Amino acid sequence: MTNKLVYAAALGLAVGLPALPGTAQAQDCTTKIGAVLPTSVDWGRPIAETAQFAVDQVNAAGGAAGCEIEMVLRDTQVDPKVGVDAAKALVDLEGVKVLLGAVSSGVSMPILTSVTVPGGVMQMSCCSSSTAFTGLSEEGKTNGLWFRTFATTGVQSAVGAKVAADKGYKSVAVLYKNDDWGQDMARLIAADFAAVGVEVTTSVAINDGQPSYRAEVTEALATQPEAIYLALYPAEGTAAVREWISLGGTQNMILANSLKSDEFRDNVGMQYLGAALGTDTASPRSDSADAFRAAYQERFGSEPNGPGLANSYDAAMIALLAMEAAGPDASGPEIAAAVARVTDPNGTPVSADTAGFTAAKEVLAGGGTVMFQGATGNVRFDANGDVSAPAVIWSFSESGTEEVEYLSLPEVDAFIASLN
Amino acid sequence: MIGVISYLVFFATTASILAIAVLGLNLQWGNTGLFNGGVVAFFGAGAYATLILGGTPQAGHLGGFELFYPLALLGGMAAAGLLAWIVGLLTLRLRHDYLAIATFGVAVAFENLMRNAEWLAGGAKGVRGFERPLREALGDGFLYNLLFFAVVLVILIATYLFLERLVASPFGRLLRAIREDEEAAQSLGKNPTKIRLTAFVTGSVILGLAGGLYGTFYAFVSPQDVLPTLTFQIWAMLIVGGAGNNRGAIFGAFLIWGAWTASGWALSRFAPVEAQLYTGSVQFILIGSVIVGMLMWRPQGLLPEKLVVSQRGKTPLVKQGV
Repeated sequence: MTNKLVYAAALGLAVGLPALPGTAQAQDCTTKIGAVLPTSVDWGRPIAETAQFAVDQVNAAGGAAGCEIEMVLRDTQVDPKVGVDAAKALVDLEGVKVLLGAVSSGVSMPILTSVTVPGGVMQMSCCSSSTAFTGLSEEGKTNGLWFRTFATTGVQSAVGAKVAADKGYKSVAVLYKNDDWGQDMARLIAADFAAVGVEVTTSVAINDGQPSYRAEVTEALATQPEAIYLALYPAEGTAAVREWISLGGTQNMILANSLKSDEFRDNVGMQYLGAALGTDTASPRSDSADAFRAAYQERFGSEPNGPGLANSYDAAMIALLAMEAAGPDASGPEIAAAVARVTDPNGTPVSADTAGFTAAKEVLAGGGTVMFQGATGNVRFDANGDVSAPAVIWSFSESGTEEVEYLSLPEVDAFIASLN
Repeated sequence: MIGVISYLVFFATTASILAIAVLGLNLQWGNTGLFNGGVVAFFGAGAYATLILGGTPQAGHLGGFELFYPLALLGGMAAAGLLAWIVGLLTLRLRHDYLAIATFGVAVAFENLMRNAEWLAGGAKGVRGFERPLREALGDGFLYNLLFFAVVLVILIATYLFLERLVASPFGRLLRAIREDEEAAQSLGKNPTKIRLTAFVTGSVILGLAGGLYGTFYAFVSPQDVLPTLTFQIWAMLIVGGAGNNRGAIFGAFLIWGAWTASGWALSRFAPVEAQLYTGSVQFILIGSVIVGMLMWRPQGLLPEKLVVSQRGKTPLVKQGV
């Protein structure tokens, strides 16, 4: 009797062993990654959907590091306490090694300082723009665990200044969203305008959720600028621009990428946006960008127009590529270190879709490096986890937006260098 | 397993910090009847002042005094107290809803000041560059969080004992007298204005203490930490726990914060995939419903105030007076 039990136990062990993690095949196991995004906010939900879209594509390619990927999504409510708690729960209870998010810098920062850096977890944000992260990293306090795919603050203000200079505007008024991103933009664009010899007549903060922006708009109008620069989000942007135009303000507008939205175009009206030029970081001149747009359109039935969508996609994709490169059961710092292997400018180019991920798997398995050609360009991080990217100048069209001018990464870098 | 313990320690730290804040509000509202609608202003003053006084130098704004940590924390409490004193002098003549509106305005003004005055506290970017005390010695892993929790817990217990003594003292009786009938108290030769101001400042100093600990825990504070949501959360904790009862205040803090976080976790784990994107909104509805239900069916809170004789008299007459 006893012998039988021992045999049974030994047999069970022998049968059970190959199923243990590490030797498992794709789809037999699940690796969790965490996402803390403001899904209770209207513009936060598409950002989360886009991240999930990237995860689905990777799972279609058989998952990353030998396992299927499950993205555990938590809402931040744009409340730092709630976001930090959610991040801590994901790290401690779900055991995630990779955290996507958050959107607001005021939420991402305490997560970084009190959860991911102490916990040795890689954090990749799609949209946090504050220059404070660069400072923190320069002080060596992020341990190389922090990345963000939001390149637009520095690149964007430089290209905005180029538009003003090319158009020959002599004076520009600035309206900016009164948050960390808007304040950074206002400061950077003022410096860049000064560098190309354009006068900034005034710089006016726009607070969220006001019923009217007449006072702010009047203040800007009184300085009689030749053009106006808008670093706003669609909701406030629409309200402010409507008042601006109804009070007789100029239609010469320069727009930050946050206004590259169908909502803004439809609510303001195409007839007022003929002279408006926008800036954005650009997709690379490759098939992968088209593949992303096509796949996105097929999945969601619309163009990926909206703040942070392309950035969110790239953040998720790069994180998963890095997991693949780092191999099974890798720790957070190991995955963070592998990011360089998947964003190597000399690596094999891979596209941003299932086929691209499959191709990347083969190259990485052979010990090679890949260059991820993402929805925001050939993403390449510097030592502080910041990205530079090619840029595009765009205008609104009947169907969405169309490109006016493309600036390659070397051109962007050269132009930024010429400003300093 | 270690993950669960690590998370529970983290959770309990946040809950304890919030409990200290709820105790401060309880002194103001539960014991004295002062409707402070601007909790975040005093909480925020404590957080900002602690980080500015104790942080490393940062380009572009005030700070970098690198004070010894307990001094920085005391500075945070002093800042909250000073703000409360100024606000109190101006607004404590107001009663009930008027005071609530005035203090709410102060809180919004505080947030806007922090958001716009970049020279003062970094504007929307917030204040960072704070080195947590003893981090070098303890690292910043689980051990650090455990010890930090122990310190917060000791401060919570100390605050609780202090307030229990305070409300049991003749001064505590005076607070309740003013809450129930200010004119009667005045007719007995008491100075309600002075007492109200004292209670308001003391409660705000405790709120500032909670804010200072909060800033220390995250090593960061930004205007996003001082939005009106926090005032609402702390009020919800007090109302659910039981206004006028210090134990209720602590219990309410743990319960509401627990429900807040657990509902998010449970929804992310058990809600169907297609509903995942909407769990954030569902959570708001759940929490709102709990608070509405409490107000409808148990407005005195889970642990209601126990009226006691603050000084036991020698004759049975006193007991009848309760």
